[in-house]
Amino acid sequence: MSDRSSLFQENPRSIQVSAYGGSAPAAEAPVCLQVSSLSAGYGRAQILKNVSFCAKQGEITGLLGPNGCGKTTLLRALCRQLPFTGSCLLNGLSLEQMTSRQLARQISYIPQRSGIAISMPVTDVVLMGFNPVLGLLEQPSRAQKEKAHEALRAVGMEAYAEQDYQILSEGQKQLCILARTIVEDASLLLLDEPESSLDFPHRHRIMELLTGIIRGQDTTRADGGTLSEDTPGKQTVSSGKAALVTLHDPQLALESCSRLVLLKDGVCTAILHPAADSLPDMEASLSEIYGPIRLRALEENGRRSLILLPRG
Amino acid sequence: MCTAQKRNAHPNTRSTQNQDSLLHPQTGRPDSAVLCLSVLLLLAGCVVSLLAGKYPLTLGRLLAGDAMQRQVLLTLRIPRTLMAVLGGFALGAAGFVFQTVFRNPLAAPDMIGVSSGASAGAAFAILFLPASAAAVTLSAFAGGLLAVGIALGLASAAGGYGSGLNLRRHPHRHTRRTAPAGGSGSIVLAGIAVHSLAQTVLMILKLTSDPERQLASIEYWIMGSLNAITLSRIPFYCAVCAAGLTGLFLLHRQIILLSVDESEARMLGVPVGRMRLLILLLATLVVASVISVTGVISFIGLLAPHIARLLMRDNRLHTLTLSGLLGGVLLTTADILARTAAASELPVSIFTSLLGAPFLLYLIISGNGGEGHVR
Repeated sequence: MSDRSSLFQENPRSIQVSAYGGSAPAAEAPVCLQVSSLSAGYGRAQILKNVSFCAKQGEITGLLGPNGCGKTTLLRALCRQLPFTGSCLLNGLSLEQMTSRQLARQISYIPQRSGIAISMPVTDVVLMGFNPVLGLLEQPSRAQKEKAHEALRAVGMEAYAEQDYQILSEGQKQLCILARTIVEDASLLLLDEPESSLDFPHRHRIMELLTGIIRGQDTTRADGGTLSEDTPGKQTVSSGKAALVTLHDPQLALESCSRLVLLKDGVCTAILHPAADSLPDMEASLSEIYGPIRLRALEENGRRSLILLPRG
Repeated sequence: MCTAQKRNAHPNTRSTQNQDSLLHPQTGRPDSAVLCLSVLLLLAGCVVSLLAGKYPLTLGRLLAGDAMQRQVLLTLRIPRTLMAVLGGFALGAAGFVFQTVFRNPLAAPDMIGVSSGASAGAAFAILFLPASAAAVTLSAFAGGLLAVGIALGLASAAGGYGSGLNLRRHPHRHTRRTAPAGGSGSIVLAGIAVHSLAQTVLMILKLTSDPERQLASIEYWIMGSLNAITLSRIPFYCAVCAAGLTGLFLLHRQIILLSVDESEARMLGVPVGRMRLLILLLATLVVASVISVTGVISFIGLLAPHIARLLMRDNRLHTLTLSGLLGGVLLTTADILARTAAASELPVSIFTSLLGAPFLLYLIISGNGGEGHVR
């Protein structure tokens, strides 16, 4: 068994090639979110217990764990929708000190399924993202409407701009919400199981786009091409954004996240760096939360992919 | 082609064609034409409303300077028509707002107790205040506002963010209590409680009333009528109604944002509790100012927004406007029927219900009534 305490330390080796193209940002990337000794719950039931981790700019941080381990509770606490103890610093500012409007400008929240219950054109859904910067009675400007169309183009939904949001498939809805996130231009993106209701191509497309947004790649290319077409290994400029994503699929998490926070029974059991940590270390940590598993590495075209298999 | 394929068919061609034209991107009809048509319908209804009734007016005799005809036109028909147009517009627009904010296609102004509160207020005035139309109107207005005030107060006490009045902070420096235990659900529950309370008060008032005169007056008021509208009664209520409507139109973008799930709306920078409170108060003001003058008028607030959405297929500002215009058309039409269908004048709610009840059944049967989808 490896030295488990090392798993809680930030790993200096972070130049790596991820499955979604583009190299990971340098290890010195500034911290976007610093969570220290966070405890939260519902009423008297404490779900999260003293969780500490950080999310750096230009990185996707994944939250992994079985059902009921506190992933969504953590996101809700960061959205200030649940009472919590501990400290959460976003770009050096305490979340508690921010006004609701400041919080909305700094954090973009993407739920499992958007709670839009009425018919409205896709463009209007994206334009909602400008609300934190608009006055109470102010309407989106022409430039903002243009940005909304650019964001839709970036996610490949431009043709649906005037379509009713309600009649889109779940995958298309998630792409619209991602376009809304692009126009929000927040520094921290919180995604609650964005892949849970999506089919295989859509879940990879979403993570691919998210990687592009976080790594500061051009998300508004006129051809609407996929972001994975970028040359692997190409250095990209950090967007100054970070993403914190709860995921059910550990395979997808290993492929798309720079850092993984493992939760079990509300406690952080390990912090992994999939591209840098050793397979036995990661296997042991993942086995602790999912039961016995095997982790294998597959090299293809200079990319390392990790495959999770049941032990048996 | 299967349904799913049809549903997600690439809409590029149609969208591109319609984007730069005046055509509606989905229906292919011009939005402005739908609005113009409804304005024309409303104007036609106004003309008929001005001329039709127990004492029919004719353009020829009016232009010839017939004093009696002019007197009827100025003192009875113009105020009545004005109230029908404004009242219908207000109920239609308020219905749109209630359905959107509560994300419920069956939501109506009475959901938070305004109609039942106004009814109890009117009954109180009929029993205990000096007999005058102004007293009944004022008492109904106060009753409606009081009922909604109690409902929102109860929701606030029960649900924290539900009405935006209660933001508690835990004494611990690093702890913030922000659980949105209330929300629209607690307002609806509080509204049901207040509605029941107001109905009980109304029943007690009816029991203690004189069955010959007072009970009949109460029942007639509850059924709604534009019969007793006079020019002197409406300026204050029209001003209140117009102010409320202006606020609702200005806040349309916020109304749409409130239709989003609460936690999502909050993360989009919407002060959900305070905004919902403000919008519900404005909508209540609008409805209370109308029904305090006309009595309870059912189904306009349900019917008009649904027809508007069926025509426009969205919830943009033009759909709110169309909800109001169609509300005006419906109430004007119902009022014309109420005074011409029988030898004596009938309550206007009979005709609005005759139009609304089948539509309600259609909503239930077609499955649009219970999903929370306001399409």
